[in-house]
Amino acid sequence: MGTGIQGFCALGARARLKDMLVTDTPATAVDATLRALLADVLGLGEDRAAALTADSGLFGELPEFDSMAVATVLTEMEDRLGILIDDDEVDGEIFGTYGNLLAFSVRKVAG
Amino acid sequence: MGEHHLHILPAGRSAATILFVPPLFEEANRTRRTLVLAMRALAAGGFAARLPDLPGQNESPIPLVEADLTRWRAALAEVADGIDGPVVVASLRGGALIDHEAGAAAWWRLAPAGGASLLRTLLRARVSADREAGIASTLDGLQAEAATAPLLLAGNLLSPAMIAELGAAEVQPVEPLRSVALGADDLAGTPLWLRAEPGEDAGMARAIAADIAGWSQSCGII
Repeated sequence: MGTGIQGFCALGARARLKDMLVTDTPATAVDATLRALLADVLGLGEDRAAALTADSGLFGELPEFDSMAVATVLTEMEDRLGILIDDDEVDGEIFGTYGNLLAFSVRKVAG
Repeated sequence: MGEHHLHILPAGRSAATILFVPPLFEEANRTRRTLVLAMRALAAGGFAARLPDLPGQNESPIPLVEADLTRWRAALAEVADGIDGPVVVASLRGGALIDHEAGAAAWWRLAPAGGASLLRTLLRARVSADREAGIASTLDGLQAEAATAPLLLAGNLLSPAMIAELGAAEVQPVEPLRSVALGADDLAGTPLWLRAEPGEDAGMARAIAADIAGWSQSCGII
C-alpha cells in the first residue's frame, strides 16, 4: 500500500441557499435554487427552467411532473432551502404554477 | 447467491475490481445506464468492474418484500469475499448505506444519501398518489401502518424491517474513503437519480471512472 492515504468527506457541494444569500436577496436566491432544482428533477434543461414564469403550470401541465416527481421536489426543497415541509402544508395549489411554488418557498424560508 | 452480476473485464489482466453498489429502488434505474458507461471506461483503463443485483432489485429471483438493509449488507460482503485481488467499493446515494460490511481496500462514495430522506421521498410519493386517487393519507399514518405490515411505496413492497432500517440508516465511517459530491468543485455531472424520466450523462460517466481510478492510485492499489 502507498503512503499518504487520506480519507475525506466533501459534504453537499451543490449550491445551498445559505451560500447564495451572501450575494443575492432572499427571493432571488430562492428563485435560482428552485429553477435549478426543477431542472434537475424534471430534466428541463437550463433554457426551459429559465423560461418558467409565475404563470407557468407545473403539476398537471408538465408531463414529467408525476407523484414521484412531486415527492422528489419536496425532499430536495427541504435539503437545498434548509426548510421542513409538513404534509398538511402540501396541497394541489402549491404545485399549480411556478409562481405559487416560489411564493410558498419564499414564505417558508422567511420562517 | 443466485443473483446476476454485470461484470465488465479489461482486455488484459485487471489491476483491481471496482465493486459498484447502485442507488436504491427507482434511483438505481435512473442511474444504471450512466453507471455502466463508467464501468466500460474503467475496463478500458485496466480495471474489472462489477455491478451486482441486490436481492429483490433489478433481475433478482427474490421478492423485494423479503429484503432489508441487513440482507443487502450481507449480500455485498459475500460478493466482495468472492472477488480475487484488491476490491474498491464504489457506491452511489443510498448504496453508501449498505457498503461498509464489504471487505475492501478502499471505498468511494458519490452523493451519499441518508436513509430517512430516501424513506421520506418514498412515503411522500405514496401520499401524493393517494391524493390523486382521492384517498387522504399522511406520512405519520403510513409509517404507523408500516410497523406491522408491508407497505407499497412507489411500486416497492417494503417489509416492516426494511422501512424501520431505512428510516434509521446513516452512512457509516469506513477507511480509506473518498466521498464525492456533484458540483463544479467536485465531480461535474447531473443528479440523474432525481430525474423523473430516464437520462444519461456520458461526461459524468467518464468523470466517475477517472475519479475512481485516481483514488485507487492514490491509495496505492494500482
